[in-house]
Amino acid sequence: MSSTDIKTEVEAFLTAHWDSEARRPREGATRDWMQKVFEAGWAVASWPREWFGRGLDKDESKIVLSAFRKAKAPGAGQDRTNITAASLMNFASDEDFKREILPQLLTGKVQICLLYSEPGAGSDLAAIRTRAERQGDDYVINGQKVWTSGARTADYGLLLARTDWDVPKHQGISFLVCPMRQPGIDIRPINQITGDSHFNEVFIDNATVPAKNRIGAEGEGWKVLQTALAVERLIMGEGAGERRQGSSKSNVVSLIAIAKEAGKLQDPLIRQKIAQATAYRQLNALNIARAKEEMAQGSSSPIMSLGKLAMSRILHTDAAVMTQILGAASMLDGEAHERAADVNYRTANAYMTSIGGGTDQIQRNIISERVLGLPREVELDRDVPFRTSRAVTG
Amino acid sequence: MTMIGIEERTAIREGFARLLADKADEAALRRVMATESGHDAGLWSAIADMGLTALLIDPEHGGVGGSIVDVEAVFEEAGAALLAGPLLSSAVMAATLISASSDGDAKARLLPAIASGQTIASVAVTGDKGLWTLDDIGVSATGSALNGAANYVIAANVADLLLVVAKNGDGVAVYEVDPGAGGVTLEALKGWDSTIRLSRIVFDAAPATRIAGLDGAAVERMLDVARVALAGEQAGACRRIFDITVEYLRTRVQFGRPIGGFQAVKHIAADLLIEVESATSAARAAAQALAAGGKDAPELVSLAAFACADAFHEVAAAAIQLHGGIAFTWEHPAHLYLRRARVDAQLFGASDYHRERYVSALENAA
Repeated sequence: MSSTDIKTEVEAFLTAHWDSEARRPREGATRDWMQKVFEAGWAVASWPREWFGRGLDKDESKIVLSAFRKAKAPGAGQDRTNITAASLMNFASDEDFKREILPQLLTGKVQICLLYSEPGAGSDLAAIRTRAERQGDDYVINGQKVWTSGARTADYGLLLARTDWDVPKHQGISFLVCPMRQPGIDIRPINQITGDSHFNEVFIDNATVPAKNRIGAEGEGWKVLQTALAVERLIMGEGAGERRQGSSKSNVVSLIAIAKEAGKLQDPLIRQKIAQATAYRQLNALNIARAKEEMAQGSSSPIMSLGKLAMSRILHTDAAVMTQILGAASMLDGEAHERAADVNYRTANAYMTSIGGGTDQIQRNIISERVLGLPREVELDRDVPFRTSRAVTG
Repeated sequence: MTMIGIEERTAIREGFARLLADKADEAALRRVMATESGHDAGLWSAIADMGLTALLIDPEHGGVGGSIVDVEAVFEEAGAALLAGPLLSSAVMAATLISASSDGDAKARLLPAIASGQTIASVAVTGDKGLWTLDDIGVSATGSALNGAANYVIAANVADLLLVVAKNGDGVAVYEVDPGAGGVTLEALKGWDSTIRLSRIVFDAAPATRIAGLDGAAVERMLDVARVALAGEQAGACRRIFDITVEYLRTRVQFGRPIGGFQAVKHIAADLLIEVESATSAARAAAQALAAGGKDAPELVSLAAFACADAFHEVAAAAIQLHGGIAFTWEHPAHLYLRRARVDAQLFGASDYHRERYVSALENAA
């Protein structure tokens, strides 16, 4: 099949079933559309035909993807973007389980949550102590996970659990797809400093996971996770420019507007602070735009790895400048002062970025090691059996 | 817009980098620093031979018809090498001013020699406050005579031609002055960075020729071009001293390991990388905006002015600290970058001024 044939076929498919003006399927709901895309093999076009794909090469897959993008239709390109599905395909996994779950994953019929972090394994994720013990065809799971969003609505959790305590910490971890709706799983919301509850704790008490639900070999879980995270970073990096650029000016208006509202816009000190806060945001947008340009020309850019650290400074600085503008009113909250309530919320919520998904300190390690080539951090428990490390012995 | 394509710009930049590596390395720079003029005539003619003194001048007057985008790229390299001499004052400031005039005779008479590097020109703008604003002009014109003083004039000590911004009645005009004429007294100022030579020039009924068609707005536009060139210099210098520092962190061993392995050190390096990349992005975005002549040009020029000045200063200052004792020695290059950073931070308006101008531009856009 030539590139032209593929283009013709995928465009015909889109024209027949997708209304690109209204951005919705011509008939049925989005669910039905996803099913059609899946059955036609467009969801994972680079996978073999016997595995729900079309056996296309990289360039041919791009043709499919760009046709979908042009029509603003969802569902294609999941061989890259559906990290759970891609991990199942890329690592040695049970064939029956793949046949059972992949169609559900690729048609969006199941929801997934992440069971990674633990109270004792935050920045040091490989120190997880949730155990998975093999009993017949199942693993029996015991432990506690934290910072899980969407736990209540998820059908499955991607679970990192320790299957071997006698090897160094990175080597004894397995990656399991854990059914969430079972008696051994207890979900409790976490009350955040913002007053929100986006995240949950998940207590796991003798829950079971069929052994066939494992992605990759036993003890290969860390490797599976790293591959998944790398893909995730890549996807986030590609999307980050548009999203952040899009939001880059919104804050400009609000800092000036807040100062005007508070009668402080003529205060020269406040104006200096507004300039600095706005500059951080605009410089980040300019950096991302330049990185995208450089990557489009084929050179790699270190800038993408700076975005998260830069964003945390932006958010904390914004909140600090807003607080300075409000002055004494920043002591108030809720109905007593709606603007203060918003600023207080931003002040607390900025930590979501400077802690969540790798703290600023971990980001600085990553940037200095991977971008600048400085020596790796010393890890005292890297090469010892996990059982003997301080994560276990205390 | 520029007549120079992207590939040609890259070639010019790379050629300039090779020239600087060959003829303007640290040893050569230190030799120039020790001279009375602070100027390397041999290097200047090599720079002119590459066409870099002709970048902003149109082909009709012996130039190559480039734009500020080309100048910015060239100044990133100049900054990396801490190039001394009159490139900024002559090829950027003077060339921009004269090119903007409506004075066909002055253009035909002055531009070709500036383009060829034969004439070195310098522009006197600010008064003793050193603000580089139209309120801070210390020279007044009466007929064709100038009185007063201009301060912080760059590379005037090697200039064959002075362009002097002066008050003229209610307005501002630009005058051509022979630095050797009677009534012109040039005082070379001792500066902290001896790679940039500053002068104070006193005019006492000095003979001057007005260049037609240059008013306050033209001076402001010239200053914005100079600011973007300077931002390029700061971005390039900032990146070079950062690279020198990171290389040292990789190789300097204490307590049995490279010091770049300590978080107290490597975390600073990670933060500085954001400044380095932001400076480059800001300088280039300002150059593009200025070349395109869009409404966002003042906003982006001032953003680049303070972001690049602050980034260069922060990185150069941290470079000495991160190196430790070795960078406290005169022989180490780190202090040369700090010297340049502190001088650059004052030229054409300091960061506070540009932050204010940036907020005003944002207000107008809102």
